Amino acid sequence: MQSKIKVSRFDPETMGAGQRRWDEFELDVHPSATVLDALIQIREEVDGTLALRCACRASICGSCGMRVNGDAKLVCKTRIADVVEEGETVVIEPMGNQPVIKDLVVTLDTFFDKVRQVDPYLQPDAEPEQGEYVASDESMVNLLTAMNCIMCGACVSDCTVLEVDEAFIGPAALAKAWRFVEDPRDDQRDERLKELNDVEGGIWDCTRCFKCVEVCPKDVAPMDRIMEMRDMAIEAGNRNTPGYRHTESFNNSVKKHGRLDEARLAVESAGYTNVPRLIDLAEIGVKSVLKGKMPPIMPHKADNSEKITRIFDQVESERNS
Amino acid sequence: MKFAFYPGCVARGAGPELFDSAVAVMDRLGIEWVELTGAACTGAGVLQEKDQKLGDILNIRTLAMAEELGLPVLTICSTCQGVMAQADRRVRRDADYLEEINGYLAEEGLSYSGNTTVKHLLWVLVEDIGVETLQKTFVKELSGVNLAPFYGCYIVRPSDALGFDENPERQTSLETVIEAVGGNVIDFPGKTACCGFPILLINQRNSLRMVANHTGTASELGADAMVTPCPLCHLNLDGYQPKARRQNNRGKADLPIIHLPQLLGLAMGIDSKTLGLGKHLVNTRDIIRKVESIAVSS
Amino acid sequence: MYKHDVLIIGAGLAGLRAAVEATRLGLDVAVISKVHPVRSHSNAAQGGINAPLTDRGDDWEGHALDTIKGSDYLADQDAVEIMSSEAGDAVIELERMGVIFSRGEDGRLGTRRFGGQLVARTFFVGAITGSAILHVLYEQALKYGLNVYEEWFVTDLIIEDGRCVGVVALDIKTGVLHSIWAKAVIMAAGGAGRVFEPSTNAIICTGDGLALAWRAGVPMMDMEMVQYHPTTLARTGILLSEAARGEGAYLLNSEGERFMLKYAPQYEELASRDVVSRSEQTEINEGRGVDGNVLLDLRHLGREFIEDRLGYLQEVAVEFLGIDLAEQPVPVRPGVHYIMGGIKTDVDGATIVPGLYAAGECANVSVHGANRLGANSLLDTVVFGRRSAVHASEYVKSVDAGSGSDEHLDEAKARIQSLLDREPNENWAAVRNYMANEMTKGIGVFRDQSSMEGAKAAIDNVSERMPKIAVQNKGKVFNTDLIFTLEMEFMADVGKAIVHSALARKESRGAHFRTDITERDDENWLKHTLAYQDLESEDGVRIETSPVTITKWEPVKRVY
Repeated sequence: MQSKIKVSRFDPETMGAGQRRWDEFELDVHPSATVLDALIQIREEVDGTLALRCACRASICGSCGMRVNGDAKLVCKTRIADVVEEGETVVIEPMGNQPVIKDLVVTLDTFFDKVRQVDPYLQPDAEPEQGEYVASDESMVNLLTAMNCIMCGACVSDCTVLEVDEAFIGPAALAKAWRFVEDPRDDQRDERLKELNDVEGGIWDCTRCFKCVEVCPKDVAPMDRIMEMRDMAIEAGNRNTPGYRHTESFNNSVKKHGRLDEARLAVESAGYTNVPRLIDLAEIGVKSVLKGKMPPIMPHKADNSEKITRIFDQVESERNS
Repeated sequence: MKFAFYPGCVARGAGPELFDSAVAVMDRLGIEWVELTGAACTGAGVLQEKDQKLGDILNIRTLAMAEELGLPVLTICSTCQGVMAQADRRVRRDADYLEEINGYLAEEGLSYSGNTTVKHLLWVLVEDIGVETLQKTFVKELSGVNLAPFYGCYIVRPSDALGFDENPERQTSLETVIEAVGGNVIDFPGKTACCGFPILLINQRNSLRMVANHTGTASELGADAMVTPCPLCHLNLDGYQPKARRQNNRGKADLPIIHLPQLLGLAMGIDSKTLGLGKHLVNTRDIIRKVESIAVSS
Repeated sequence: MYKHDVLIIGAGLAGLRAAVEATRLGLDVAVISKVHPVRSHSNAAQGGINAPLTDRGDDWEGHALDTIKGSDYLADQDAVEIMSSEAGDAVIELERMGVIFSRGEDGRLGTRRFGGQLVARTFFVGAITGSAILHVLYEQALKYGLNVYEEWFVTDLIIEDGRCVGVVALDIKTGVLHSIWAKAVIMAAGGAGRVFEPSTNAIICTGDGLALAWRAGVPMMDMEMVQYHPTTLARTGILLSEAARGEGAYLLNSEGERFMLKYAPQYEELASRDVVSRSEQTEINEGRGVDGNVLLDLRHLGREFIEDRLGYLQEVAVEFLGIDLAEQPVPVRPGVHYIMGGIKTDVDGATIVPGLYAAGECANVSVHGANRLGANSLLDTVVFGRRSAVHASEYVKSVDAGSGSDEHLDEAKARIQSLLDREPNENWAAVRNYMANEMTKGIGVFRDQSSMEGAKAAIDNVSERMPKIAVQNKGKVFNTDLIFTLEMEFMADVGKAIVHSALARKESRGAHFRTDITERDDENWLKHTLAYQDLESEDGVRIETSPVTITKWEPVKRVY
């Protein structure tokens, strides 16, 4: 099968930071060839200067994260025929949100510094007197979701928050944190949750955009792990955050009216005592009123909203029992 | 073509221009609809954080209401589309879970059996109506109008809840519609990224950086306006654009954010007042003038 | 210039386990690895780790005997006794560090069966056991603040007065060479599967550690013992774990027959790997294969079971072959997977060069002999990784650091510059692909004098071409062209040792099965082959032998 590959090139010894060059290659590849097969073929037969990382070829070592046609992927498990129609060009770039060292190789520090930030090791108060910790199989299988993470960096590459804020701990490291929060053998659960709740770039900074869920090649679904930790953090008593107030206010609005009350949501999320934010909100609010689009003072209710309230009551009482 | 119409909270709250323009456009398209006035908010992913099952109950309840009417659900909100589709996928994959959810609906006499679907207007345009028929409703070709698409996360991810395997055209539906009205697609990397709205009230700095990046980039690429099928994106990209661009040094807030039905309305020759184009925070005067200067084709 | 008490080369399970131990013993420890630790090939171990847990009725001698029988009696029994008796503590320790081993109903560690054993004593994490342990050992490394030279490539060992006192290494990110001095060096650099093609091994498994030690005068032992894993995918060589058969999968021939019932009536699909691979190859050779493969059938296990316990296998089958294991059998064939041979060490990991230790796949203690049992490799890494660190930590107390001279660094710089200065000629990849294909042909599941001589001819050809390999890339930063050329030099050494060791052994034993001499010969060959580098001799290699240590299990005929 003929295949066209376009590769982003960067050589720090001859180019300035942020520059790139595009090289195009035409190759004869096996019909079920992966993008990695093609890159190796280029490296071995056409251009020995092409730099990329790869090792296992079997989607377990996490070396070969790159962007293929705009999305972060493990190229060893991405078949060319699955990403382009025959004759179309496969476009390969280094991952995003991590500085490029050369060609398709990005720095590892961005990723692993974040992993270090979550104290990623088991912290029990005491070890069992003999033998292993006793724990249910379900509790261990549960952790498999996150242990499937191979630290390839795809989620970090495409995270929309990291694009604007490098302080965000990010999807992979937060999924790693979840793995310890959920581990019955760890005795720092509450401390971990408090830290993840309070720290700059913690669990509340995720936008729920699903990018990490979409690009993760190992189904770790980091965003789902972050959402679970938000709930766990609240349950553990961490309530002094805009994030908590936002969720509660949203919940209360829907519970009461069946609908969302944006004005109240804004004010309640800011917190009634957060004067600068309230003034800021008022400014936008006044402009909105002038434009004739401010939500009605009396929120628009769903018909028979008491039926919705009943569902909330039922679920909440089950949850509390 | 008849639908159970689910406009979503914003169209019924802070974004009345979306509801009004959608109704006007659906009328021209010959879409019949009955509003699901008793349906709850989808939870927008926020309720799901706290309690996914609760969110699923509310959304399956909405689908059950539509099923009772024998109609598919029509939405005009990317977020509503995504959240309802995710709930639908979960119950379709797990019969026991569906039964559990139906248990909560029994008191209202509702039950869901998977015999309806939820579809955004955007998808209805390209799948059910088709570009050719759609174009017959237009009186103007918006040639020379540069339009940047902005999807909203939940109408593109998670892809396995959105039927992209069976309906691959959904992934480029917004560009298809822009081309159908005769506009130029201004492609830019942020078109499927997050607008920042979900963290607006939690981390405003980051949220506004997103707004500034997307609107700034599209402006720099020569866009006259940005088109979105998501009213939540609209709230942020429009409402907070002046502040965002000021704070991040990304130039003047000069990029009008147009709801999908407003774009259709402009091509259909519906007047800008009906479309509510005056209700935006970023001034839409220039784009209105540009469209008005285009002659009505025969 | 950098200095440490102990420097560990390689950051897989053996290297990290050694590093954790030496750190706990209070030494200044560093790890150097050409890839980030979590990229190490230990990741690829899928099925599990063996351990006879005596507190629940298993006995370590049973595991020792199974291991020795699996080795076709070539393993040194004193070493096996140590591995088996320390196994329980080693696995419990991993669990306590945080490995999420599968559990039984009672919440204690659960097991699955593995090949060559009738007792279920393999502890596992789904089908990602190696990865799950590697990541936990990396967590421990972070906990202890371990110093890691990430993406540094060792070009030379520094030997002074017959002692190993450090290394010269290239920082791949900058292209700068450095000396790192250490009172003791532990080689834990993994296997050499890339000497063959195809192989289950990662692209990084190029025998660097084997060749570095060899050049320092340490013999490579039993290098003819190359394991062909029974279930690898055609073309790519990607591994499908023995865990599939451990959980009950069948091997079928083109007639739908479970042919292993014929070759191994008692152990069936779970005979030792050499036996299963030979049985498969026999079926294929006799015309009962399916396009050069046999079929691995998991369908009767059911989708839920497959996805829960063997999820990674399902991922591999779907992603790489488009086959759903719950619906369809998957074609598999024997493929190069592991090298039992390696740097000769004693039971404490020490080599004949003071200050140089070895552990893991690059070492040969010897616990695997002529055939390694599945799930014994992970055990080997943690038991002997730890022991090497303990012994090295004692050793460093009594020795001084090396000279700190720049001589070694300057030599390495000159040598690398000469590679970069060569006129364009041979390309490392062409030489590598040629050698690896010829090695697979000559040193196969079945081999004979003529096939092995073919491999020797190929190695001779490679030796002639090696000095002509030119590095195309002249840059400093991430010059993988240079790295691959240096790796090719290592692979050429390893290939040479394998071929000459194989030609030396005039019998069939374990993985070394000669169709021209089909019987095991305990009278003459119950001994190890030792390949030494010998630059004086014509082939650059000298083969000697050494006796096998027998403690209490007299060799008997092996029947599965």
